[in-house]
Amino acid sequence: MAETKKYWKGIEELTNSATVQKLAENEFNSEISTEEFLGNKEKLEESQTSRRDFLKYMGFSTAAATLAACEAPVVESIPYVVAPEEVIPGIPNYYATSYFDGHDYASILVKTREGRPIKVENNKLAAMNGGANARIHASILDLYDSTRLQKPLINGEEANWSDVDTGIKKDLNAAVSNGKQVVFLTSTVISPTTKKLIGEWAAQTNGFKHVMYDAFSYSGKLDAHSASSGKRSLPTYNFKNADVIVSFGADFLGDWVGQNVSADYASRRKPGKDMSHHVQFESNMSLTGSNADLRHKIKPSELGNALIQLYNELGGSASGGNTSVSAQVKEAAKKLRAAGSRGLVVSGTNDADVEAITIAINKLLGNGGSTIDYSKRSYLRQGDDAAMKQLVADMNSGNFGALFVDNLNPAYLMAGDSKFAEGMKKVPLTVTFAEKNNETAALSKYVCARHNYLESWGDAMPADGVYSLQQPVIRPLFNTRQTEECLMTWMGKTGSYYDYLTTNTKAPNWKKALHDGVANVSGVAAGVSAVADSTDKAGFFERVFGGSDENNTDNNVSTGAAPAADVNAAASRLSSAKGGAMEIQFYQKTGMGTGNLANNPWLQELPDPISRVSWDNYLTVAAADAVEIGLENTNESNGALNGSVVNLTVNGKTIENVPVLVQPGQAKGTVGLAVGYGRTAAGKVGNEVGVNAFALFNGSHHSTDVKIEKGIGTHGFACIQLAHTMMGRKIVNEVNLDTFLNKPAYGEGGWNEVTEFETFKGPLTSEETNLWDDFDHQTGHMWNMSIDLNLCNGCGACVIACHAENNVPVVGKEEVRKHRDMHWLRIDRYYSSDMNEEVAEEQGIGAIDMYAAMEKPSSSPEVAFQPVMCQHCNHAPCETVCPVAATSHSSEGLNHMAYNRCIGTRYCANNCPYKVRRFNWFQYEGNSKFDKNLAMNDDLGRMVLNPDVTVRARGVMEKCSMCIQRIQLGKLTAKKEGRPLKDGEVQTACQSACDTEAIVFGDVNNKDSQVFKLKQDKRMYHLLEEVGTQPSVFYQTKVRNRA
Amino acid sequence: MHYEAPIRKPLIIGDKSYHDITVDIARPVETKAPRSWWLVFGISLAAFLWGIGCILYTIGVGIGTWGLNKTVGWAWDITNFVWWVGIGHAGTLISAVLLLFRQKWRMSINRSAEAMTIFSVIQAALFPGIHMGRIWLAYFVMPIPNQFGSLWVNFNSPLLWDVFAISTYFTVSVVFWYVGLIPDFAMIRDRAIRPVTKHIYKILSFGWGGKAKHWQRFEEVSLVLAGLATPLVLSVHTIVSMDFATSVIPGWHTTIFPPYFVAGAIFSGFAMVNTLLIIVRKVFRMEDYITIQHIEMMNIIIMLTGSIVGIAYITELFIAWYSGVEYEQYAFLNRATGPYWWAYWSMMTCNVFSPQFMWFKKLRTSLIFSFIISIVVNIGMWFERFVIIVTSLHRDYLPSSWSMFSPSFVDIGIFIGTIGFFFVLFLLYARSFPVIAQAELKTILKSSGENYKKLQEKDGHH
Repeated sequence: MAETKKYWKGIEELTNSATVQKLAENEFNSEISTEEFLGNKEKLEESQTSRRDFLKYMGFSTAAATLAACEAPVVESIPYVVAPEEVIPGIPNYYATSYFDGHDYASILVKTREGRPIKVENNKLAAMNGGANARIHASILDLYDSTRLQKPLINGEEANWSDVDTGIKKDLNAAVSNGKQVVFLTSTVISPTTKKLIGEWAAQTNGFKHVMYDAFSYSGKLDAHSASSGKRSLPTYNFKNADVIVSFGADFLGDWVGQNVSADYASRRKPGKDMSHHVQFESNMSLTGSNADLRHKIKPSELGNALIQLYNELGGSASGGNTSVSAQVKEAAKKLRAAGSRGLVVSGTNDADVEAITIAINKLLGNGGSTIDYSKRSYLRQGDDAAMKQLVADMNSGNFGALFVDNLNPAYLMAGDSKFAEGMKKVPLTVTFAEKNNETAALSKYVCARHNYLESWGDAMPADGVYSLQQPVIRPLFNTRQTEECLMTWMGKTGSYYDYLTTNTKAPNWKKALHDGVANVSGVAAGVSAVADSTDKAGFFERVFGGSDENNTDNNVSTGAAPAADVNAAASRLSSAKGGAMEIQFYQKTGMGTGNLANNPWLQELPDPISRVSWDNYLTVAAADAVEIGLENTNESNGALNGSVVNLTVNGKTIENVPVLVQPGQAKGTVGLAVGYGRTAAGKVGNEVGVNAFALFNGSHHSTDVKIEKGIGTHGFACIQLAHTMMGRKIVNEVNLDTFLNKPAYGEGGWNEVTEFETFKGPLTSEETNLWDDFDHQTGHMWNMSIDLNLCNGCGACVIACHAENNVPVVGKEEVRKHRDMHWLRIDRYYSSDMNEEVAEEQGIGAIDMYAAMEKPSSSPEVAFQPVMCQHCNHAPCETVCPVAATSHSSEGLNHMAYNRCIGTRYCANNCPYKVRRFNWFQYEGNSKFDKNLAMNDDLGRMVLNPDVTVRARGVMEKCSMCIQRIQLGKLTAKKEGRPLKDGEVQTACQSACDTEAIVFGDVNNKDSQVFKLKQDKRMYHLLEEVGTQPSVFYQTKVRNRA
Repeated sequence: MHYEAPIRKPLIIGDKSYHDITVDIARPVETKAPRSWWLVFGISLAAFLWGIGCILYTIGVGIGTWGLNKTVGWAWDITNFVWWVGIGHAGTLISAVLLLFRQKWRMSINRSAEAMTIFSVIQAALFPGIHMGRIWLAYFVMPIPNQFGSLWVNFNSPLLWDVFAISTYFTVSVVFWYVGLIPDFAMIRDRAIRPVTKHIYKILSFGWGGKAKHWQRFEEVSLVLAGLATPLVLSVHTIVSMDFATSVIPGWHTTIFPPYFVAGAIFSGFAMVNTLLIIVRKVFRMEDYITIQHIEMMNIIIMLTGSIVGIAYITELFIAWYSGVEYEQYAFLNRATGPYWWAYWSMMTCNVFSPQFMWFKKLRTSLIFSFIISIVVNIGMWFERFVIIVTSLHRDYLPSSWSMFSPSFVDIGIFIGTIGFFFVLFLLYARSFPVIAQAELKTILKSSGENYKKLQEKDGHH
């Protein structure tokens, strides 16, 4: 039986005294005086709130009101309702896709974090163009450009898609029924599926024409190949097999015919007996020319004659061939003869005659199948200048119904030809597919807001046998549609473009292809044009994925192609062509290309590898010409570069106030001007940067009709390099191939002599004359990095990759001008000087005059590139001077930077011999004064930031961390899997962006690692070894193959 | 009673009694400020306020408002810092070192020299603070216990040594100065008529009664503090010089920096004392106490230290050549012939050549000439620091990173602001503190006063 126990609170309750009883009646044992206080009105009136009470109430209410007024920051973060399986917070996912903007093509991997694409990486599985250039690496930022079109436009007003669809269909039907022309104007199309769709559209639309036009056209080149092989496409070039490369104005490491050859080129630039020999004939100092073993200056108009001379030297017989460089051509011919089929001659113009002779020369060399692959055609340039010319004429003729423009900005490209804009106005239906309300979109009736490439499906066939896929890596951010979807809607097709793509490819191994981004289609040579050909109904796509092997005999055919008559005709035309007193060569800057990504601040701020100028294009002028015309570059008292301006007239068209940059290595009598600048509707970053060289363009890459008139005033450049020569110092260690092969590296007079200091113990190296206690670097990892100066061609992809990986801010032109660029990784460029200590001694020149002369680059300089990032010194000068120990050494050989601890004395930066430390002079994040820093100044832009890397605050020093976040991820992955870290598992951002493998990172305590082997290489040297900093970064001596 | 040989010139001129000294020295404190004082004070205050504005702008917006760049991370900020610290050397040297060496002539000038020291150290101390990117975290440089585990400051860093050196120097200088002021405050207290004034000076004079015991303690404390302060005179600028000497930058990494900097500091400090005293003696009619002889003594020291500095410059050049180090050689060649040649030659002219005029007695006893040279020397010493800092940094190892420096209006504004602040402090001091250590001075009246010397001569006393 349950007993009701009684518990008491204390003895008092047990005894149950009267007091306790009384208390128990009241729950609250003290009276609350509410009634007393408020109930009695009289008393209330009598009573006074004391001063203290009043102050209390006031204090409380003020505090409460203040607190209530403070709004806590709202962080919008919406969790997944159903989380996708593959998205794990903190773990990146990689998706393979393809980039093609009509100009640049690459097969890439896109790194996404929590569903956000944040970085582009090279796709190592790619058979072609697996190395993305600087622009493609930067393209990720364009996805988050807040100035993108978020909706379609009708007559410039935002509209919805159904209105656009109805409108366009109605107008298009009207055009077709009136029998008018319908033209689809695009850049080169390399997608077989898109071509098929366009073909189907053509089939159901009367009067339809598809015109392809390339911004920087190689139409002439294509025509020459068409004449020689019957196919209007370019061959692919195999630089891997080339012992001798002679280039006539072809900037194949920079921008050429779209095929990325830098990795192949680099594979033969490793010093040794089989190192290739590269001769460049050119007028502008190009990226390729700066990497050449021998570079000869020549006027653009003389290139044809130089080629004729070479052709004759190699056994051909054509008229003409007198140039100022005949000795050099002879020399090149000798080398080519010796190389035979392992020689390669390339040319860079848009002139069919020049290309015809180049083809003939290569035929004489018999290099078909060896260095040139005629069977594997490249489709990256298909534009037809004649068709474009016809289009402009047709538009103005009035018999024109509709113009659709995709992936091309003709209003910008044809800025010099007012007929285009006028013609466009006469066309009743104008539709532009664009991501931005660009120059062409502004002239169009309908603007179809396009997906970014990272939101689109697609495929690409850049060359025969090469097939890659494009997949979206994020849901469309805005109410946009990809071009193909629009076309399908208007054609009345059901389903999505994805369905169309998969149906047409009929891939049995679709998932693998999608995963890899590329599919092995070797042996398929049908090419993109075949798909467009409606007779090819047999199913190209089955063959693409079926991998049927067809023997192609193009190489044999081609060696017999190009009838001699053509060469003679071409030669006579070329030799009779007149040169000008002043000639202009148009070119593309590494950062900007043809200006598609002009609104990308990373690219605008990327210093040009040659001139080191960012945020501008300019007229490059030879020093001798500059003196004649009275042009000069000067520096302001803070080191900022200024230049004269000129009024430039080319082909009868004038641009005023073109800034001038005196360019060492520029051929006398020539000037250079980069295209891709001077955009007027690119967005807040790209607008009004530089001048639009396309306005002077008439299709040819050069012109002999040039007039230069000195303008009034000066132009301010954002040039980050003030001194251009090495001042006789051993910074880029250089040696000739002969010496490298035959002479000792070390010891007295060796080509890689280590500096020794005389001490009382005899001569010792800086490492041996050490004052400091050494860290233990035998235990655990010891991270080192090797940078091969022979493989680095200065392309700048690593700089952009570093920008993206490490959230490096963009500071804008004015700040760069003040030498406050924030790049963690820079590529120093040095010109050789005509003055050195030997010359000074010979001529009896004193030290003061010698150093003054050393500052001047030679007029035909040799160029050296040197990527410099934090050298992670093991005896770091920065570490000892920081008063708060914000920068300190890791046990793994890295120099760490604790941003939280940094108070910003800048002592570390001052004491850094390499000057790699960067200070946050201002708040670059969330600061409207730095609104060009797109990645940090609006919510959309911030999506590109790498969540693994802190965005640094104002007043903090920052620098290269060797991508510590990647090292950490690699170490953790290995630890979780219970295994040691593998060599090559951790790659820094710059390393993975470098397709020439110039940068190798790894653990030197792992004796099997590549970096350990490279450290033993006799080319290895440390930058400024004699300072005794013991860097973890080392360089490989640059070897030039001059002989 | 101290005995002084008759051959020595009197240090106090005129027929002075103790009371005369009291009256003369108390006069600026007790009378109303003339219009000229207000004018100079107004200008100084305006400059000071402008400087505050520039400092606030810097702190609000960022160091980017200065003319610095990725290569030249220090320029006017640290130039000004070293310049002001250098100026701050003379006071302690005069009062402590000369006290130990029993140099009686220091008594008329030590008070103002010490005041100048303290005021210029205040200016100097501003710069390490405001040059920080994140001044709100300046307390990180203090070795204070924290919650971050064993997170300490970096004791290897000369910048940290600076913090200790400057704060110690400042503290000792203030205490030394204040101790010396006590009897003089008491004198003003005793003469004060208005109760508020009297009360203030009463507090300031610490209950001084002029008893023998007080005097004994006073002398003892002075001697002890002088002993403490003397090594500080040498250590502060030695440590400041180590900011540069311990680095790896050619032109900074120089082992002769400590003595070279100390000599330079005394040089500039004495010049500044001359600048101020030549004005003070005129304005306050203290020509009898701060005599031409004082100015001459100072000039001799300026000449001596200027020559030491000159030797240091030449030694640097020689060692650069002799070392055979390419970077070092270029750094010095660049100083003299590079883009900042004008700064180098300004420095050379002002610091090495101009003090050599002091070999001529006529020139070193000329007030106007001394005044001009004292200004020239300080211009030269400012350039010396600019040359060391900027010309070494702007072209160091890798030519790819070479740059130039040009000051922004904020750089200039802050510098002018510190000059304004310095004069605001000095002008306030001049009208509220006894500008000459009268209590001490009275001790030598009978041995070094002109009238007493004459009496002695007449009487044939020894």
